[in-house]
Amino acid sequence: MSYLMLSTIILLMGILGIILNRSNLIIMLMCIELILLASTILLLFGSYALNTLLGQVFAIMILTVAAAESATGLAIMVNYYRLRGTIAVRALNLLRG
Amino acid sequence: MYLLIILIPLLNSVGAGLGGRYLGSKGAGSLTCIWATIASLLSIGLCYEILINGSIVYLEFGRWIESDLLSSGLGLQFDIVTAIMLIVITTISGLVHIYSTSYMREDPHLPRFMSYLSLFTFFMLVLVTSNNYVQLFIGWEGVGLCSYLLINFWFTRVQANKAAVKAMLINRVGDIGLILAIILIWKEFGVLDYCSLSSSIDSCHSSLPWICILLTIGAIGKSAQLGLHTWLPDAMEGPTPVSALIHAATMVTAGVFLLVRSAPLFDHSPTATIIVGLVGSLTAFFAATVGLVQSDIKKVIAYSTCSQLGYMVMACGLANSGSGLYHLLTHAFFKALLFLGAGSIIHALWDEQDLRKMGGIIRGLPLTYTLMLIGSLSLAGFPYLAGFYSKDLILELAYNGYCLIAIYWLASITAFLTAFYALRLVYLSFINGPNLTRARGRYISQEADWVLLGPLLVLAIGGILVGYIAQNTVFAGGIRPLPLVPSTVAVMPVILSVGGILLVFILPTLVRSLPLFNFLVRAWEFTPIANYYIGRPMWKFGHIVSYRTVDRGVLETLGPTGIAKFIITLTQNLSSLQSGYIYNYALITLLGVGISLALL
Repeated sequence: MSYLMLSTIILLMGILGIILNRSNLIIMLMCIELILLASTILLLFGSYALNTLLGQVFAIMILTVAAAESATGLAIMVNYYRLRGTIAVRALNLLRG
Repeated sequence: MYLLIILIPLLNSVGAGLGGRYLGSKGAGSLTCIWATIASLLSIGLCYEILINGSIVYLEFGRWIESDLLSSGLGLQFDIVTAIMLIVITTISGLVHIYSTSYMREDPHLPRFMSYLSLFTFFMLVLVTSNNYVQLFIGWEGVGLCSYLLINFWFTRVQANKAAVKAMLINRVGDIGLILAIILIWKEFGVLDYCSLSSSIDSCHSSLPWICILLTIGAIGKSAQLGLHTWLPDAMEGPTPVSALIHAATMVTAGVFLLVRSAPLFDHSPTATIIVGLVGSLTAFFAATVGLVQSDIKKVIAYSTCSQLGYMVMACGLANSGSGLYHLLTHAFFKALLFLGAGSIIHALWDEQDLRKMGGIIRGLPLTYTLMLIGSLSLAGFPYLAGFYSKDLILELAYNGYCLIAIYWLASITAFLTAFYALRLVYLSFINGPNLTRARGRYISQEADWVLLGPLLVLAIGGILVGYIAQNTVFAGGIRPLPLVPSTVAVMPVILSVGGILLVFILPTLVRSLPLFNFLVRAWEFTPIANYYIGRPMWKFGHIVSYRTVDRGVLETLGPTGIAKFIITLTQNLSSLQSGYIYNYALITLLGVGISLALL
C-alpha cells in the first residue's frame, strides 16, 4: 500500500512541477521523467501484487520509451536554445489562441 | 346608361393618364371635357328617371366576398339619395374639367391633372352608387387617395406635400372609425348591404349606438367636422379647381352622404343622433367664427365649407337627413361657384390670394364680381337664392327638432356670421379701395376667357335656381317637411342673413376690433394644441418606446445583433484560455483529466 502512496505522490509532484514551474524547460523534462518513473513504480507494484509478469514487461518498455523521450526532448531543447538563446518556459508563448 | 356614368370617368382617367403624352395638353383636356359633359348629361337623364318617374334601379353583379359568415356582393343602387349625389358630382366635376382646361393652361402636366380629376370623379361615383358598405369603402378610400394626389399636384412645393400628407393621415383617423363600424355592423346584423340592413334594424341591438358613433367618426374625418377639420384649410395648397371639386362639392360631402345612407341606423339610436347634431352645430359655429377673420381668400371659402358641412351634419343629427342632402345639393352649386370665382380673381391678379392686397377690382372684373356676389349671397342665405331654401329649412327644423335648443342658437349665430364673412370677402376683394402692389396693379386686368367663365355662369344659374327646383324632389316622401314654428322663428334666418350682409357695408373693419382676434385667426389654436397634446407625446412615444426601446433595444438585443455579440465575446474569452504558456496547458489538462475522472 505504501508503494501505491509513494508512486501517487511522486506522480503528483511531477505534475505539480510541470504546472508550477515557470523558469526552466529542463526542470519540466525532469518532471516528465519523474511522472514516468512514478508510473513505472506503480506498474511494478501492480505486477508484484497481482503476481503477473505483464507489469514488468511494461515497466521495461516504459524505461525504454522514457530514455528515447528524454533524448529527443533534450535534442529539441538544444536546438531551441541554439535558435533562441534561452530555454525559459516564460518565453515559450509564441502560439497564443 | 347607368354603368356608363361610372365607367366614363374611369376610361377618361386611364385615357388621359396613360395616353396623355400622345394626346397632348389640348387633346387630353378637350377629350376629358367632352366625356365628362356627356356623363353629366347622362346623369341628368338618370335623375329624371329616378326623381321624376320614381323608378329606383338596383343592379346586382354577383358575389364578391363569399364565406359562411360574410357574404358581400358587388352591386349598384340608384335611389333618390344616389341620384342627388350623382347630379352634384357629375355636374360639378364636368364644369371643373372645363374650367381647368383654361385655368391650368400654362401647366405642363395638364393630362395628369385631368386624369386625377376623372379618377376622383370615378371613385366618388363608386362611393355613392354602391349598394353595400364594403363597396362604399372602396370609393371612400379612393377619394382620399385622389385628394392626396390632387393636393400634391404641384409636388415640388413643400407646403403642398405637407398638406397632402396631413389630409391623407387625418382622413385615415376617420377611416378607422368607418372600418370599425363596418365590422360591428357585420357582427351585429350579418349583412352589409343597405337593403337587408335597413329591414333588419330594431332598437334592441345593444351595439347600435356604437355603430352609429363610429360611423359619425368616419363622417367627422371625411367631412372635416370639429376635431378632425384641420386638414381642410390646409388642403387649399392644391390648385383652385381641385379645391372647388374636392373640398367644396364632392369629397367632403362623402361624410354627409354616409350619414344620410345610414339614416335607418341613426333613427334607432337617439344618443348618437344628438351627438351628430352637436358635432355639426359646433363645427358650423367654430368654422364661421374662424372664417370671419381669415385673410386668405381660399381659406375663407374653405372655412365656410367646413361651416356649411356642419349644417348638413347637424341636419342629419336632427333626424332629418333629407334636409341635409338638400343643403348638400344647393351648397355644391354655390360653393363650387365661389371657389371657381376665387380662382378667376386669383388668375386675374397673377396668383395673389391675400384679401388684404386686393380691392377695387370691380372695374376690371365686373362679370366675376356679379358671379361672386350671387355665390356669396346664396351662401349667406339671401332670400330666393339656393342657400336660402335649404338653410332656412334646417334652421326651422333645429327649432322644431325635439332636441337641444342650443343647436338652434348655434346655428342661428352661424347664419349671421356666414352672411357677414361671405359678403366681407366680396367687399374686400371688389368694393374696397385698391390695395394692390404697384407691380400687380399695372397688370390688372380683364376677365379670363369664356372657357373659364362659362362654368361659372352655369354654376351661378344653379346657385340661383337649384334650391327652388329641388325643394320637393330631394326628400324621401317627395314632400318638403313643414316645420311648425312661430312666425318670428320663421323670419329669423332672413333677418340674420340680411343683417349680416348690411353689417359688412356699415362696419367693414369690424373684424379687426373683435375680441379674441388672434385666437380666431389661429383657428381656435386647434393645430398647436393638437400638436402639443397629441402630436408631441405620440412622436415621443414613437421615438423613445417603439424605436429606441423596442426596435433598437429589445428586438436587437435579443435578436441578431445581441446574439452575434454574445457569441463573439464568448469565443474570445474561450480562446484566451489558450495563453501559449505550457504550464497553463498542463493545468488545464490536469483539470480536464481530474474532472473526467470525477465524472466516471
